[in-house]
Parts: sequence; C-alpha cells; structure tokens
Amino acid sequence: MSDSWIGQIYPGDTRGMAMVDALLEKEGIRRDGNLDYTCAMFDENGQAIATGSCFGNTLRCFAVSGAHQGEGLLNQVITHLIDWQAGRGQFHLFLYTKAGTAPFFADLGFHEIARVDGKLVFMENRRNGFPGYLKQLEATRRDGVSAAVVMNANPFTLGHQALAEQASASCDTLHLFIVSEDRSFFPFSVRRKLVELGTAHLPNVVLHDCGPYIISSATFPSYFLKDETDVIEGQARLDVEVFKRIAAVLNVRARWAGEEPTSRVTGLYNRVMAEELPKAGIRFVEIPRVQTSGTVISASTVRACLRDGDFTELKKMVPPSTLAYLTGAEAEPVLKKLRQAENVVHY
Amino acid sequence: MEIKKPAVAGTLESSDCMVTVEPGQGEIELDLDSVVIRQYGKQIRKIIHETLDRLDVNNAKVTVVDKGALDCTIKARVECAVYRSNDIRDNLPWGGVIR
Repeated sequence: MSDSWIGQIYPGDTRGMAMVDALLEKEGIRRDGNLDYTCAMFDENGQAIATGSCFGNTLRCFAVSGAHQGEGLLNQVITHLIDWQAGRGQFHLFLYTKAGTAPFFADLGFHEIARVDGKLVFMENRRNGFPGYLKQLEATRRDGVSAAVVMNANPFTLGHQALAEQASASCDTLHLFIVSEDRSFFPFSVRRKLVELGTAHLPNVVLHDCGPYIISSATFPSYFLKDETDVIEGQARLDVEVFKRIAAVLNVRARWAGEEPTSRVTGLYNRVMAEELPKAGIRFVEIPRVQTSGTVISASTVRACLRDGDFTELKKMVPPSTLAYLTGAEAEPVLKKLRQAENVVHY
Repeated sequence: MEIKKPAVAGTLESSDCMVTVEPGQGEIELDLDSVVIRQYGKQIRKIIHETLDRLDVNNAKVTVVDKGALDCTIKARVECAVYRSNDIRDNLPWGGVIR
C-alpha cells in the first residue's frame, strides 16, 4: 500500500496504456478515444492497480483492480485528477459513472445532474451547479406555449434564421439556447452576437447560454471531436435527459431543429431526440433545410465558402448582420484560422 | 485576505478533507459534504468559519469534502487553500494567523 504511487501514462506509452486498458476492460469500460490526461496507480511490482483520466472539464475511465477494491485507491486517483485539473484552472468538474458507483462519488462531493435509463449517472462537483442554472432559467419562464431551439450557430446562417422564425411563430415564447463551449471556429461571444442580431426582429425570443449542461464537452464531447456511433448516441441520450429537466423548468413543450442531411453527429442527435423527447411529452419538430440554388444552407457550407473566399455564394446563405461581421475587420482572425484549417465541415 | 483565484488543498483519502476556495459574491458561502455530517457537521462548519475569520477571509465560496478529518487537519487544509489562492508559498506566518 505504502509503496504504491500514481503517475501519468503518456499516449505513446504502449505498455502503460495496455495495463490501463486491461483494468478498464474488467470493469466493462472501453478507453475513450479523446483524453487529455491518463494516470495509473502502480504497486511495488510496477503493476497498474487503479486508473483514471481527464478530458476537458470531465473525469472519466476509472477502474480499480479487483484485488485492491475497498482500499480507497479510487479516492487517491480522483484526488490526483482533481489536483491535475486545478493545475490547469478547471475547478467545476463533471463525470459519468454507472448507477451502482454513483453513491461512491456522492461521498467524494459529486452531485447528480441526470441519469440515462437508470444506468448511467452524470454528476458535477458543485451542489448548486445545475440547480443554480435551472433557477436562473426559471426567471425567464413565461405563461403560454413555450418552445426551444439549441444552436451552435458557427456562424449564424439563413438556415438558423428560418428555424428561429418558424419556431418563434409557433409559440408564445421561444427559448433559444446557444452552445457556449468555445471549441468552434467562431468564438462564443461572436456566435452569440450574431444570433442576437439575426433574431432581433423576433420579439418573443429569449436567448440563453447552454453553459456546461447542453451540448458541452462535459455532456457531449463527441459533438466536437470525432467518435464512434454508439459513443455519440450514448452522449446524445444524456444530453437529452438534461434537456428534459430544463424543458420542465421552462414549461417547454416542443423542441425545434433543422433536418440534418450532412452531419453524422447532428443527424444521430436528432434521431435520439425524436425517440426520447416525446416520452417526456415534448414534441420534436424537424424542419427541412432552407436551400439556395439547389444546395442546402448549413454552417459547414458557409465555412467552406469562407475558406475558399467565395463571397458570391456566401451572400446567398447568411443574413445581412452575419455578412457585415464576416466582411468586417473583426472577423479577420477567424477567417485566417478557417483558411489554414484542413477540415471545416462538421462530421 | 482576499481570495484572488480558485485553489485546492487536501485529498479525498480517509481522515483527510479536500478544500476548494474560489472568489465569492460578497460573503462566505460554504458547501460542506462530510461522511460524518450528522455527527460532526456543526463542529466542522465552526472550525472552517473560525479559520477563515482568523485569516480575515470574508468573501469566498468554500467547498469542503470531508472524509472524517480531525479539526487540526481541516484547519490546515483551509489555511493552505487560502494561501495558495494568493500564491503565497514562502514566509508563511507560522505562530501568527497560522497557529
């Protein structure tokens, strides 16, 4: 016990990673494709006996060797990961775990946000995190029919505008959530501003930030980074569970989205919403994409036009407010990044 | 002392506690999780508030996850987190406000 120690396992350390994978496999867990940091605890013989990893603001992929359970090793692993996250300025942390293990994490200061099918539990280390977010939202609850839209708007196109207009016309209040995670080409402040300008003519729209709760790297990392279909689907289900709780607070009865012919991840997300939301009494409305001269408008296509400097096509796909920003000096750093990027299309 | 940035001290191992301090919103906001909250919750809160008072911290969000730490351990972890948040690592006031 006293001779054990915790160290980082680097991605290139095939022997170390093989030991980590073996530990995870016994717990029925597959190591996530996207991890920032992995550590393992070793016994005096250099064998890995416990492991844990981080990605963004989450802790993930924990396991303890069967021979060492009940020794409090996971507490040490979690401490190590929290210290590592603190070192890079992350204090609000999230994790998912099996329902059976959730009470253990509750003892380590983690609080439940949502669970999927009674199996997977999503937790955060703030007692007042999600409840505080819901309380803030509750202040914008309105009587009458409410609907919701969630968009990344990277950047805001005529497609987003049409979606907002149609959804807004269908209800008394439209709660429009903007993905706040800064992992997209256009920074959050810009995306939010363009949504604000592009929906200014719709008086019943209330804008919200998704925070770490909807489509964030905590709930839905595969939205931002490539992953396998079953992983995307699992995360989409969790995201939808979180959304159900938000919808209940805002009295939202319908969620609107654009049809998704091109992006695999958003297509899967829409499918999960169509399956899951009606179970909670929320209507899922998918509207066809707006087209311009035969091609569907999507933010991915807009980004491709920007990369190629095709402003003639671009003008047909974005509202004047977005165009003004894109042709202004302020957009230059983002455009430079786009021009250098290999892939600008959402997978 | 002012809580300038978030800082953590301590561990989640048995008989220890993990203390996180963050800039507050005008007061002390204490969030305590403890395995012995029913038995010692009041005493743990008292120790935390006393220690913060002595360090003249009156504006902070303090999160404590206690795994059955003794009073002296809780006190030490709170002090350490507060000094870390001020990037003070040397010439600590031993015998002064830390006693």
